Amino acid sequence: MSEHALELSQISKEFGGRTVVDRVNLVVPKNQVVALVGESGSGKTTTGLMALRLIEPSAGRILLGGHDITSLRQRDLKPFRRQMQVVFQDSYASLDPMMTLGEIIAEPLAIHAIGTASERRDRARDWLQRVGLDGSYATRYPHELSGGQRQRVSVARALILGASVLVADEPTSALDVSVKAQIVNLLQGLQADMGLSMLFISHDLSVVRSLADQVVVMLRGRVVERGPTDRIFANAHHPYTRALLDAVPVIDPTARRRRTFLTAEEINANTPRFRPEDIEPQPLVDTADPQLVALAGSHFVEAIVTGGR
Amino acid sequence: MLQFIIRRTLSMLVTFFVVSIIIFMMMHAIPGGPFDGNDMPLPDNIRARLMAQLGLDKPLWEQYLRYMWGVFHLDFGVPYQSPGETVMGLIAHAWVPSLVLGGLGVLIGAPIGILLGMAAALNRNSWIDYLASAIATLGLTIPVFVISTLLILVFAVWLHWTPASGWGEPRRWILPIMAYAAVPMATYARYARSAMLDTLNKPFVTVLRAKGLSERRIIFQHVLRNSAIPMITIFLPMFVGIATGSIFVEAIFRVPGLGAYFVSSIQKRDYPLEMALMLLISALFCISYLISDVLYALLNPRIRLGGKGR
Ligand SMILES: Nc1ncnc2c1ncn2[C@@H]1O[C@H](COP(=O)(O)OP(=O)(O)OP(=O)(O)O)[C@@H](O)[C@H]1O
Ligand SMILES: [Mg+2]
Repeated sequence: MSEHALELSQISKEFGGRTVVDRVNLVVPKNQVVALVGESGSGKTTTGLMALRLIEPSAGRILLGGHDITSLRQRDLKPFRRQMQVVFQDSYASLDPMMTLGEIIAEPLAIHAIGTASERRDRARDWLQRVGLDGSYATRYPHELSGGQRQRVSVARALILGASVLVADEPTSALDVSVKAQIVNLLQGLQADMGLSMLFISHDLSVVRSLADQVVVMLRGRVVERGPTDRIFANAHHPYTRALLDAVPVIDPTARRRRTFLTAEEINANTPRFRPEDIEPQPLVDTADPQLVALAGSHFVEAIVTGGR
Repeated sequence: MLQFIIRRTLSMLVTFFVVSIIIFMMMHAIPGGPFDGNDMPLPDNIRARLMAQLGLDKPLWEQYLRYMWGVFHLDFGVPYQSPGETVMGLIAHAWVPSLVLGGLGVLIGAPIGILLGMAAALNRNSWIDYLASAIATLGLTIPVFVISTLLILVFAVWLHWTPASGWGEPRRWILPIMAYAAVPMATYARYARSAMLDTLNKPFVTVLRAKGLSERRIIFQHVLRNSAIPMITIFLPMFVGIATGSIFVEAIFRVPGLGAYFVSSIQKRDYPLEMALMLLISALFCISYLISDVLYALLNPRIRLGGKGR
């Protein structure tokens, strides 16, 4: 089987002795959208930034298209930077306020010494149109745009180098509902056109549901459940995932809603328990610590494995 | 933009007049008059004649109007302490030492402060950062006259490297320049540090790193430009602010500049000179803020093109 677009293996991050990301394994297969969800502070952004080598991991490995980029020096990393890109939530702070949109979008080309200045300008205009903005926006400044328009600029800048992997860190969280849908559509379209692989970090499970092929659920730096989107939404095993799903706004106002999040005790008490013979493949050790066990259909959940023969 | 400048100029003129009234009233609120000095008691009739000659026997509002009428014609009167020349003439020669010392102080202090602040921001929580913070805090909290006295104590009294005071050969400039440099250095160290950190923490800098732009280029092509605006716009007001500090520095180092005349004009109730110096400083403040605002608008695309907000 061919290598994945992006693979994080046993990746961890400590900030001042506190483990913020704890031995996370995460795979973004080619051409797929993997959503990373979890409450605030669960380590999603840190994980995404480590994947891009913008934060140095404390341990673990990063593979981009099968290449181990974990310990490349910045200079050697530069060619790989063309393949992976990022879009952040804060559309205004993501753009240099002193530069025109045309300059902003063209800058990645300049950084990688691609084309002449006028070719770069033309390509920036092309990309403005590709993300649904008029070419005349090239001479405008970020503050003249709406949040949704700025986010389109961020997307254009991210993809102008022809990236194959995009890390989108809550790109729609700051937007109105209608604008949000437009940006999701834009990302979806570009993903299909360019064969993008995307790590989509989000709080918003309705967006995740429409966009993602797989969902990875993080809780306090650990992956507690992951699997195909439809299986997660239909058949979540972990109590934390269920709580997240329950917190999704529902249209029917009479439907029962749970907004409260679970305490550690509640999660521990409700963590799925399996006996070793129930699980495929068999875990190596019988342990009271939670570990990821495989369910049917590439669905994994953190569970306590006890008892057995 | 032009409209903005006109509007600001008008409000500046209003400010200027309000300030002039306040200064005039406060000046005369200080008890005593120009001929009350104990060293040279005057007979009452002579004093009355002098007062009448100078118009000091008139009601205050009339004195004020007369003075301002003169100001309109650029006639600031004659300084009581030096009747042989005009206020304009006195200021014309007194500002030279002030400008030289103050100017050199700012030109030396500001770049050092900026470099210090930048080094602090780029090496956050390192010893450089702590050193810069310490210098900035000390420079802003220790009064200028204490700094001046310390400088004299260390460099003139203990080390005998420089003369303690005076004006003349450049050797004598060193200490006052150092005293003048303290505030701009401290101010700029703080501004540069916080402006740089502010920019460095913006996501667009992270995006630039993700693009593969080297850290050095990120700093020089993006961060500096974004941090420069607040630093440029505080420059002129700070420069004028130095004038206030000059009162102490020049008194301590016995430099015959504007600051020294400031002190003597207040002591001697030299109303025309005092008024002129005060008006000069307020006018410079008003103008420097106006220029700063215009500069800010010119440098910042958000205001330059939007035309909104202001
Ligand atoms: N540079 C840093 N230094 C110290 N702690 C950090 C740093 N960056 C993140 N953290 C901590 O790591 C934890 C995870 O942060 P992270 O930003 O990855 O969470 P997140 O899941 O993206 O949250 P959100 O949904 O709010 O964006 C938080 O507790 C945060 O305080
Ligand atoms: Mg985050």
